[in-house]
Amino acid sequence: MDARRHPEGMNPAEQAVAQKRIALAKAGNAEAWGELYREYAPAIFRFCRRAMPTREDAEDATMDIFVKVRQKLSQYDASRPFRAWLYTVAANHCWDLLRRRKLRQDLETGEVENMPLEHPDPGQLEQLIESRTSQEVRRALDKLPARSRMALVLRYYSDMSYDDIAATLGVRRTFVGVVLLRARHQLREILEGQGGTSLATGGAA
Amino acid sequence: MIHFDEMACLLYLEGQLDSARSEELSAHVRECAACRDLLHALQHETTLLSSALTEENESIPARLMGEQTRSLPSWVWTLAFGVFAACAYWFWADGIGPWFDQMSSAGFGGTDLFSMIVFSGAFWEGWSDMIDWIQFGALILVAIAAIGWIRRRLRRPVAIAVVMSALVFALALPQGASAAEVRRGRSILIPAGEVLHNDLVATGSSVRIEGTVEGDVIAFTRDLTVTGHVTGDVIAFAQEALVDGTVDGNVRVFSRGVILQGDVGKNVTAFGSSVDMISKANVGGGMIAFAGETDLDGKIQRDLLGMVGRTELDGLIGGQVWIRGGSLTVASSADLRGPATFEGPQQPFVEQGAKLASPIRTEITQEIRRTRKTAARSVIRAVFGYAVALAVGILLMVVFPGFFRAALREAGSIGLPIGIGALALITGAFLLVVGVLLLFVGVGAGVAGVMAYAPILYVAQIFVGAWLGGKIMGEAPDGVTSAAIGRMAAGLLILHVVGFIPVLGGLLGLAVLLWGTGAVLLGFYRMSRTEITPGAPLPA
Repeated sequence: MDARRHPEGMNPAEQAVAQKRIALAKAGNAEAWGELYREYAPAIFRFCRRAMPTREDAEDATMDIFVKVRQKLSQYDASRPFRAWLYTVAANHCWDLLRRRKLRQDLETGEVENMPLEHPDPGQLEQLIESRTSQEVRRALDKLPARSRMALVLRYYSDMSYDDIAATLGVRRTFVGVVLLRARHQLREILEGQGGTSLATGGAA
Repeated sequence: MIHFDEMACLLYLEGQLDSARSEELSAHVRECAACRDLLHALQHETTLLSSALTEENESIPARLMGEQTRSLPSWVWTLAFGVFAACAYWFWADGIGPWFDQMSSAGFGGTDLFSMIVFSGAFWEGWSDMIDWIQFGALILVAIAAIGWIRRRLRRPVAIAVVMSALVFALALPQGASAAEVRRGRSILIPAGEVLHNDLVATGSSVRIEGTVEGDVIAFTRDLTVTGHVTGDVIAFAQEALVDGTVDGNVRVFSRGVILQGDVGKNVTAFGSSVDMISKANVGGGMIAFAGETDLDGKIQRDLLGMVGRTELDGLIGGQVWIRGGSLTVASSADLRGPATFEGPQQPFVEQGAKLASPIRTEITQEIRRTRKTAARSVIRAVFGYAVALAVGILLMVVFPGFFRAALREAGSIGLPIGIGALALITGAFLLVVGVLLLFVGVGAGVAGVMAYAPILYVAQIFVGAWLGGKIMGEAPDGVTSAAIGRMAAGLLILHVVGFIPVLGGLLGLAVLLWGTGAVLLGFYRMSRTEITPGAPLPA
């Protein structure tokens, strides 16, 4: 079920080339670094664009992330997929920025956190999903509190593991599912606001 | 039947349930339609989320794809540095020296220093020798590197603008102007008896300080007169400056005429067509003078450094003397207590009775320029000019690839850029004339305007060259490749060689100037509006 949506997608030969490039860049080869940059900058920019509130923030963050990556390249463990490592660096950077800006909104404070989530009606949920376009979802994502949005981006854009998400957001591993589910609920509410149907039918356990 | 909650379903979908519970849920959904539907709905939600997040609905900003600057191949820097070092040497040996020789022969007859440098007919030759295109190219190299560097550190244009204007401001007002009293008006007077307990920044057609200023005086004016007492420094941009009172700090003046009659506690730096010091004047520190002529009758307690057309020394100089210029006369009343050096085209004239610590060491500079300018020399110069233009081109290509591509594309449409270039140059010339003729203080601004134009005019040839190379050898792939550099090199070579042909070369040069300028301006325009989508691999 946990299908990788961003497979490195390479045959062994390509993988060897990629690994060699990373090794060269690690050793300080500027050309190899340039190639790495060109290969991954678009993906990292898109990641930042999803995670950060404005396009300009995303551009700045992308640049800063690559500065960091270049500095930290020596710490990269080649047994791990490079892209995943890159996303970890990017996620930490963006989350740091967001946290520093105190973008954690009221919605994320204590009592709301413990509020039970209402059980959705599958049919209505299905209907809501059917009726919404990607663009509407993106617009709704922009309205989410920072942590909820970040959690969804980490999971469904970067395909990050629960462990890594927990480490990035600074929450317990067991809490990641809750954060994700809560984020989905918040998203549904916003999407519903755009449309009209209500999903909640009361808790069935 | 016990249903599973949404959390369990989500964790199941995400592969986060332990195997026992996972199997339990699998078994349950085979029986339970409600839970199966929920599972499906959640799965669809995941798909929708993933596709919304990963969809490429926006292009990648050009700024980011130009970011390979981080990985500039080291040879580019080596090349740039090498050319820069060579040019710096050239500039020093060939530019500064002849300039001051020229200064002595041309004299300072203009209305003020700026207009004299730029417009005085006698100086045109000197001007072109002083900063010819080679040296100018070197300056642009540095500027590109600097802008590239700044861009990396300060990304937002706003930030750059703020820093730049702050820098200009800081340069214009070197001393703590923030706390200073600012006065504007036709004439500004600090009357005798008045004491100003603050720095004074004064702009007006005349500034007179008869009272006391307990701080610095910074003046932009036509006439500056200080007969009172300034406890700090006097910094002035003026047409005429007279310091008759007491200045405890330094005096730094940029003025056509500078007359020192009073007491200066520290040092004097003077730029002007004439710098005079009468016998009762006393400078506690040293003096640096850049002037057409200077007549120093007073006392300078420490060193004198001058680049002056005609120098006459009548007073005391406590430290050493170093003068470069056209002529030096040491009058009988002079008292030079340190070693003295003179560099100029003729022996200094020392009157009988003058007191010297040691004979004046003299270096006779040759009548340079014309005689030295042999054919071989102009060939070397041409090769140098070509190399610099190429280096600037490569640097542009590497540091601003997006802009380079955009301007190159614009150059391809020929007619439009030539038109825009002509329009821009005419407008620029018009603004310059208006600025200079209508506003006296506009001369400085006019020169600054030319300085802003000049880099664009210089890089114009690069885009035309690159375009020409591309036409001859076929389109080069985007980016910094040896192919693209080779095309630019070939195109520039042709332009430079053609430039040697009399008349035709000049006409073509003008066309290239208009064409390239237009391309650069259009390139700027496009860059500010569009973004490129790079062909780099994207997340699947």
